[in-house]
Amino acid sequence: MRFIGIRLARGLLTLWFAVTVTFFLVRLLPGDPVLAVADPNMTEELRQKLLADFGLDQPLGVQYLNYLGQLLQGNLGMSFRQSVPVTTVLMERLPWTLILTISAMVVTIALGIPLGVLAATRAKGWMDRVIQLTGVTAQSLFVPSVGIFLMYVLGVWLGWFPIGGAVDLDATGFAATLSMLHHLVLPCLSLVLIQLGGYVLTMRTTLIDALGEDYVSLAKAKGVKPGKVVWKHALRNALLPTTTIAGLQLGTLVGGAVLTETIYAYPGIGRAVFEAVGQLDFPVLQGAFVLLAAAVVVANLLTDVAYGILDPRVRTS
Amino acid sequence: MRRATVLGALAALAVALTAACAPSVPGSSQPTGGSGAPAEAGRLTIGTTADVVNYNPLVGNSRTDSWVTSLMYPHLTQMDGAGKRVPYLATEWSYSDDGKTATVKLRDDMKWSDGRPVTADDVVFSVTAVQKEKFGVVAGLITALDKAKAVSPTEVEFALSRPDGTFLDNVGFWLPIVPKHVFEKAPSVQKFANDSDWVSAGPFKLTKVERGQRYIMERVDDFGPGKPVIKEVVFRVFPDVNTEVLALRNGEIDLIGNVLPPATAAELKTDPKVKLQQIPSLGWAHLQYNTKRKPLDDVRVRRALAHAVDYEAIRKIALKGYAKSSNSSVLTPSLPDYADLAAKEYAFDPEQSKKLLAEAGVSNLSLNMIYDQADPNIARWAPMVRDAAKKAGITIKLQGLERNTYLDKTTKRDFDIYAGSWAVMDNPPANLGLAFKTGGFINYAQVSDPKLDDLIDQGQRALTQEEAKKPIQEAARIIHDQVYDNVLYVETFNIAHSTKWTGFKPMPSELLSILNPLSLAAAKPAG
Repeated sequence: MRFIGIRLARGLLTLWFAVTVTFFLVRLLPGDPVLAVADPNMTEELRQKLLADFGLDQPLGVQYLNYLGQLLQGNLGMSFRQSVPVTTVLMERLPWTLILTISAMVVTIALGIPLGVLAATRAKGWMDRVIQLTGVTAQSLFVPSVGIFLMYVLGVWLGWFPIGGAVDLDATGFAATLSMLHHLVLPCLSLVLIQLGGYVLTMRTTLIDALGEDYVSLAKAKGVKPGKVVWKHALRNALLPTTTIAGLQLGTLVGGAVLTETIYAYPGIGRAVFEAVGQLDFPVLQGAFVLLAAAVVVANLLTDVAYGILDPRVRTS
Repeated sequence: MRRATVLGALAALAVALTAACAPSVPGSSQPTGGSGAPAEAGRLTIGTTADVVNYNPLVGNSRTDSWVTSLMYPHLTQMDGAGKRVPYLATEWSYSDDGKTATVKLRDDMKWSDGRPVTADDVVFSVTAVQKEKFGVVAGLITALDKAKAVSPTEVEFALSRPDGTFLDNVGFWLPIVPKHVFEKAPSVQKFANDSDWVSAGPFKLTKVERGQRYIMERVDDFGPGKPVIKEVVFRVFPDVNTEVLALRNGEIDLIGNVLPPATAAELKTDPKVKLQQIPSLGWAHLQYNTKRKPLDDVRVRRALAHAVDYEAIRKIALKGYAKSSNSSVLTPSLPDYADLAAKEYAFDPEQSKKLLAEAGVSNLSLNMIYDQADPNIARWAPMVRDAAKKAGITIKLQGLERNTYLDKTTKRDFDIYAGSWAVMDNPPANLGLAFKTGGFINYAQVSDPKLDDLIDQGQRALTQEEAKKPIQEAARIIHDQVYDNVLYVETFNIAHSTKWTGFKPMPSELLSILNPLSLAAAKPAG
């Protein structure tokens, strides 16, 4: 219980830190948010009025305290550009981001672990080399280039997948679900590609280490079948670092989602962030970052808990 | 054998990755959406690059917002291919002899989507709201307005505080008419988000919004100027033109709203499924020299700079030939009624530049030049400007900036050379006033020339185009000779649509293009 309490307190501290950094960071963005909203034709009087409307005429410290106060009441403020609450803007987008990131994560883990095991058990063999090479290469790919490439080859050339979007206009019911999955493939694939390497390589290294441990030799000596030695004995221990990676990767995933959603015109939060930067829509940016930071904090919390379950030593230390 | 196995394994991995991502890909491998199937023949899908940010047409000032809102809210006038005003909600417009009263007659067959007629009250309300709350593009253009009054349901009278021949052009072109009975309920019209239950009066009405994805608009059968042929217009949001091009080639969209970059246009020209429509720009690309900075306050230095640009090379190479010369004049060929045929482009002549600089006693001239790095055209020609200037012994340091930084520096006039482009300059007397009169809102070069101010004033007071032409041409000559602006070219915009559609009515500028309300109302399936 105390273990969870400490982790929770740390999580909240992280969240406060993220909120604070975001708040000041967006205000460091060059440019004038009022100019991004109105046109440069406006009079100085109107400019001042808009600044006051946005609360940007107050000293920075006051703005910050006001924002924290608002946040504690669960109020993310109003979008400068859209004149609607930030919560509305984000909630429309959240489900899509969840679908994309969760599916990417599930697929990555589902592929990453077996591939890692495959590479480790055939260490130094050709299969190992191919897997390693593919993993490292994919990891260093640039999402927008991958996106355009995949859309061109699999979309325009082969006509297998749609170009951007999240679901067909005319699809209803079950067809809509299928259409959703159809649209999900390319963005999901891009995210999986850039992430997979991390899992595979970590899995491979830790499993090779684990396979050299005494208890593995003992199990082999006892006559346990090789498959069982790997999957049952060594894997459970080798999974610990991979669990950490899963937690850490969520941050990367969220970052990758901004680019991926933008390239594939996927209507998630990442795309909203991209648009808000161009429009200097501070409240939307802040809100999105608070939400994303919260997601990462929660994921890390879950990782810690999972770690505790997998490895009892963590709970006592 | 071994290599084949490796390749096979790689292929298998790729297939596994793809398959794993979508546990159940639909059996059909046909790309869906667009206008392919006969059942959807009545749907025109348009690619856009941004969500609608603000549904209040009086506030929303982005081009992409306007594409959607201008199908919902009528303007008094539209423009024909040559830039002349043509009727839309207004049927006739005129000034009184003393120029202090402007009258507009309206058509009587336009209805709001809740059944109420569009009347003079709506026009008065719209213009008065902008006048009172001072917001949006229009506020800066109606400073001469004293009071607007509905004389009858189909006639509006504007009392002006001074004769202003640009007033009707400006109001007609820029002011969207909104329903009084809906907008007047908001405590502040400017803050009214208007983000649901739209009451509109254009050829199409917005029926459904899926943010980040699409905007669905249905035909209005009793649209005054004539029932549109297309049943449904859908705007689909893409991140950029490149993705839109992929979607057009894939048959997922029928029309790309955004102008194609010249290189993309050159590529698409040979695609048999794509038709390119050429549309003149109402603006121009230019360099402006900060006349408040030394030595740019010396006209000889500015002329030296004007002679140090290879205009033809920029048009041919950077713009792939999709650009016209404006003869270094701010009166461009897009508005033939004003264009000055006697204007001559500055010759690219580095020797002449050197001579002028020597006369001015300037050596080792080194200047910075700011531009928006995201503008694909300028990013291509900015280095050409630098390299050509080098031949004249002038050093230009390029500063390609992020858009908001660029805007910020522009408003603060923090640059030596500004490289950019005007999007829509639809009425020379009004536009020259904003851009070149002392203290003008977009007078980036900080020009302050009493003679020029006087000529522009004369042009604005003139009640007819014929009368305005002389002083405005004279003003343009001064701008040319003093190099208050260095016009590089007028772009020829390429708009791409599927050959499955025809009947569009192109209008100048990316704002109106072929997706203006009268054009989409007239568009129909080909063949």
